[in-house]
Amino acid sequence: MNKMFAVMKREYLQAVKKKMFIIMTLLFPFLMAALVAIPGFIAAKGMGTKRIAVLDGTGKLQAAYTRPNEVEKTNETAQQEARKALSGRSQPELPTQMKVEYVNQAGAANPDAALKPYLERITRDDDAPDKLEGVFVIPAKAATDQDTPLTFYSRSSTDFIAQERLGKLANKSLQRSRLSENGVSPELVENLLRDLRVDAVQLSRTGGKKTGGELNFVVAFIFGALLMLPSLVYGQETMRGIVQEKSDRVVEVLISSVTPRQLLTGKILGVAAVGLTQIFVWLAMIAIIGGYGAATMSMADINLTQFIRPSVFLYFFIFFILAYMTYVCIYAIAGAVCNTEKEAQQFVMPIMMVMMMPWFLMMPIVLNPDAPFAIGFSLAPVFGPITMFVRTLVTEPPMWHVLVSIAVSLVTIAAFFWITAKIFRVGILSYGKRPTLPELWRWLKVA
Amino acid sequence: MGEILAVRDIRKTFGAVRAVDGVSFAVRRGTITGLLGRNGAGKTTTIRMITGIFMPDSGDIQWLAGGSGSFRDRIGYLPEERGLYKQMKVIDLLLFLAEIKGVRAHRDKIGQWLERFELTDKRDAKIEELSKGNQQKVQLIGTLLHDPELIILDEPQSGLDPVNMVLVRNLLRELRQEGKTILLSTHMMAEAERLADEIILIHGGKVVLEGTLDQVRGSFGKNTLHIDFEGDGAFLRDLPQVKRAAIVNNAAELSLAEGADPQAILQACMPSLRIRRFEVASPSLEEIFIEKVGTETLAHEEAR
Repeated sequence: MNKMFAVMKREYLQAVKKKMFIIMTLLFPFLMAALVAIPGFIAAKGMGTKRIAVLDGTGKLQAAYTRPNEVEKTNETAQQEARKALSGRSQPELPTQMKVEYVNQAGAANPDAALKPYLERITRDDDAPDKLEGVFVIPAKAATDQDTPLTFYSRSSTDFIAQERLGKLANKSLQRSRLSENGVSPELVENLLRDLRVDAVQLSRTGGKKTGGELNFVVAFIFGALLMLPSLVYGQETMRGIVQEKSDRVVEVLISSVTPRQLLTGKILGVAAVGLTQIFVWLAMIAIIGGYGAATMSMADINLTQFIRPSVFLYFFIFFILAYMTYVCIYAIAGAVCNTEKEAQQFVMPIMMVMMMPWFLMMPIVLNPDAPFAIGFSLAPVFGPITMFVRTLVTEPPMWHVLVSIAVSLVTIAAFFWITAKIFRVGILSYGKRPTLPELWRWLKVA
Repeated sequence: MGEILAVRDIRKTFGAVRAVDGVSFAVRRGTITGLLGRNGAGKTTTIRMITGIFMPDSGDIQWLAGGSGSFRDRIGYLPEERGLYKQMKVIDLLLFLAEIKGVRAHRDKIGQWLERFELTDKRDAKIEELSKGNQQKVQLIGTLLHDPELIILDEPQSGLDPVNMVLVRNLLRELRQEGKTILLSTHMMAEAERLADEIILIHGGKVVLEGTLDQVRGSFGKNTLHIDFEGDGAFLRDLPQVKRAAIVNNAAELSLAEGADPQAILQACMPSLRIRRFEVASPSLEEIFIEKVGTETLAHEEAR
């Protein structure tokens, strides 16, 4: 017992003193948040403004492509943008990152010739002052002829968002003007064409309602990463540690002093303590930042508790430990049967690909948290902790799902530990060739 | 004196290689037993089985010391290759090594050991910053810190300079005086000759010779001549009674063939050499070693 504790203490202190641990612990949550926030931020702002020329042959659409109030728009937060995008709007608006050069071409004698200089500006150097990213052409006939296509010219054919938005603006305005020309009053047009807003409401089992579920998606990814990556990183560390003990021959000294089981138990408990330390620091950080964040967010009219229940933290704690222990055991086996780090990496690679599946399936799981495949994954060994945690985050699975998932994981970990201990007993002392699968099987039976 | 450890007919096979093939011997309390053999003879595998690192395929190893406490806690083992955590500080590592033997080592005691091995200033250095010899010394301290009854050392002097070799040699003698038992594996015959009370010679996974140093040497009879001379002694090599000769400058060590008369050799020397020393002696351990296990290799070498 004391010996196991000595191994555990050494393992813990060595890991915690490492730079990697400090970096992981302090910077990782920020990195994760940044990883999620930056693409959103870039999408919203960072791409820079797009200069687009709108050649309007009808001469009627100037209002649609001109912003009513420039100043107010730029103050919009990315979150409000996102929310607006999801909730519909009374009339399509020009995206803030689009700068439109409106050209009234009503009555132009030769529209094709007039178009030419604009198209040339698209192919100009990036830093040319009058460079255009796109040209949107509304032919004169569009006002009257329903079959006249609008054309969007750009160098990349992939900017379907800009294309869709510009088209929508043109269509809406043309519809309006057609209705007005047919004698419908502008007020009536406005009322008739109003889009209805969609509010997302998440129902809880107890009948409570909450809105703001859209952001669960982002939260699921951040928490999913917090759950998974440390398991991978420290699993790797454990594996590396074991391989190094073998290659440095420390293991000879260890095994002449402690039993393999004491060694393995001490090691895994030591690594588990490292993981616990890590998440306690993280939870403390989240509590502090969350407290501050909630204050600022409530000023921005977002209630943090709307999309993160307090129970999430409890579940995070439970499923973190379960995922962590599962992964560490698997990596420990790899360390015990292999003699070099490279060999161990190769050994563990295919296993890890399988184990990462819930991560790759995060999107469908978040979108369909109560679908049979999501339930199946959440109750399965190995995949359970991560899938189940994501489900508790975005939906409210029945309590028995949660309990079964925890029980399955505990049994899995116990089984993995048993296997690891047996393989450790034989494997850690076998220098030389990596064992084949039949050999591993024999070890399991012999030890 | 009683036996502290008995090894009976242990065998170990790795794939097609029979590393240890029926080795038996006993280690008596309070002695230094030298486990000798060439590289690959099976010494290290034998030791790893004794320390519980390998399970023997068959045969058994008996711990006969009596008293309480587990075998693991009462032995100290110094592996052939350094087995230290490179990232750890010397002091932390030594505390850990004592702790896994179930002893809470006193820092003062570690301090004394470090001082004895001239490592006091390396107390807070990381293992990887130490020279090979210093690492070996740290390993040795780690082996002895928990005051083991049986000390098993696999090539303890590898990597040490002559001064440190003397240091270790004196330490081992001192430990024997304190009543400790030492099992010393080495291929340095001169060192074994200086230290060991008993010899076990292993070759090809089998014990080929064992007994006290005196017994072993006695059994080979006084068949060795040490001659110091002036003149050209090259012809000594070719005398019919000489089986093997090592001639360096003006000194020769001759192994005599069975039934050879030293007197005849003295006579052969008289005409051409000035003799300063002529001694009939038992063979050195090195001679015995070569005689027992090295003849085929040497013959092979000479044939080339």
